[in-house]
Amino acid sequence: MDHNLVVREKMTEKYLLGELDPNLKDEFEEHFFVCPVCAEDVRAGSEFVAYSKNILQESDEPERATTPRREPSRWNWFAWLRPQFAVAALVALLVVIGYQNLVTLPQLARAVRTPQFLPATAVNLLTYGAGDSALTIHKGESFLINVIVPPGPRYTAYTVELYNPAGNLAESLPISPSAADTWPIQFPAGDWKAGRYKLTVRGRNTSGQDVEVGSTSFELKIQD
Amino acid sequence: MSARSHRYISSTTGHHEKFRAKHHLLLQVPEGERNEHSVVLHFVPTQNARGTYLRFDSFDDAYLGRLRAGDFRTQEHFSAYFSALIKIKLASRLKSPEAIEDVRQETFTRFFMALREGKILQPERLGSFVNSICNNVLFEHYRSTVHNPSLDDSEEQEIRASDFDLLGALAVKETEKKVREILSKLSERDRRLLRQIFLEERDKDEVCREFGVDREYLRVLLHRAKQAFKSAYLKHMGENPRDFAPA
Repeated sequence: MDHNLVVREKMTEKYLLGELDPNLKDEFEEHFFVCPVCAEDVRAGSEFVAYSKNILQESDEPERATTPRREPSRWNWFAWLRPQFAVAALVALLVVIGYQNLVTLPQLARAVRTPQFLPATAVNLLTYGAGDSALTIHKGESFLINVIVPPGPRYTAYTVELYNPAGNLAESLPISPSAADTWPIQFPAGDWKAGRYKLTVRGRNTSGQDVEVGSTSFELKIQD
Repeated sequence: MSARSHRYISSTTGHHEKFRAKHHLLLQVPEGERNEHSVVLHFVPTQNARGTYLRFDSFDDAYLGRLRAGDFRTQEHFSAYFSALIKIKLASRLKSPEAIEDVRQETFTRFFMALREGKILQPERLGSFVNSICNNVLFEHYRSTVHNPSLDDSEEQEIRASDFDLLGALAVKETEKKVREILSKLSERDRRLLRQIFLEERDKDEVCREFGVDREYLRVLLHRAKQAFKSAYLKHMGENPRDFAPA
């Protein structure tokens, strides 16, 4: 290794900083074992670094307190469990719970306790397709259907099925046997679409089979 | 006066004393005059001379002859000179001080065996020969630790400057004082930079990015600090020839 190259490339500094690749490191060591000037340079540099470590360590404590080291960034799946994140999550949770308890639930309770006028209509199971009932509701409003059950054999159980204008089953309600000939059924507020709805009642006979008791339909209109 | 024109001509202490008493020479070789062909310098202070008396040693036939003859001073010089270089070389390769010492001793043992057997033919390549022996011993050490992991202590070595008693307590204190002085003249930022690199041993690219500098800045910083330190270091080197702390 040429001595001038060593000086020009600051090989001693690179060596002390661990920047030389293995081959170059070997070459440089071969050189300073032979070259007294570079040997002296390496020894001086090495000693300076050794003393510096001790001195810098002594003055390290105050530095650490004022200048926190930036941690290498890496994703930690459990990072959210750290106190700063846990506290934030707790606060958010408390806000949600507080809102629900102080606002949402009381509103619902009031709604339940307060008398309400429901849009209603009566449907006769034996009048499907003739003289359809019409019902007008507001968007998001619930409504009442009085289902008039024809006299006839009684079944062990009943199911009321509501089909939307697209022909899909929208609601299904099991009903215990009742002596009443009119069943008032409240359909809850939801995303009802305007159109013709079909209501079917099925009964389970003593053989366990489900048979259609009757069907009817009504026109639902949505008012904004 | 050229350093090359002055050679130490006797190996005996008696003659050395006589020479020193008779000739209060003040010889200094400015750093700019030194190159790879300069003789190896060994500083020996005297009580009477105002300056620093230099004893010049060079790796030549005479040196080899003295070494072979068992001359104490020459052996001491050889041991101090190459122990330091071997320790620096091994510090980045071996973890424990014990392993470093083992390799160093084995290197010297093999060297002196070769010396006695007349196997050293080129005295001016003495350093290269020592380095080659060290490489062989190191390679054998690696092989033996593969088979016997316990041979290599896994503890990371922490060599503190304060543990080096070889310079003498006074010399160590003065050296430390010089290093403190150099560090105090650096900016707070540069001191933190050196601390991150040498003490905390963080990734250099990462540190440079954080400090907004490049690798060349780091090298120049170290170069200037080292140059400032060398004058004090060279002065103390002459007080006691010995090995010292590797980086």
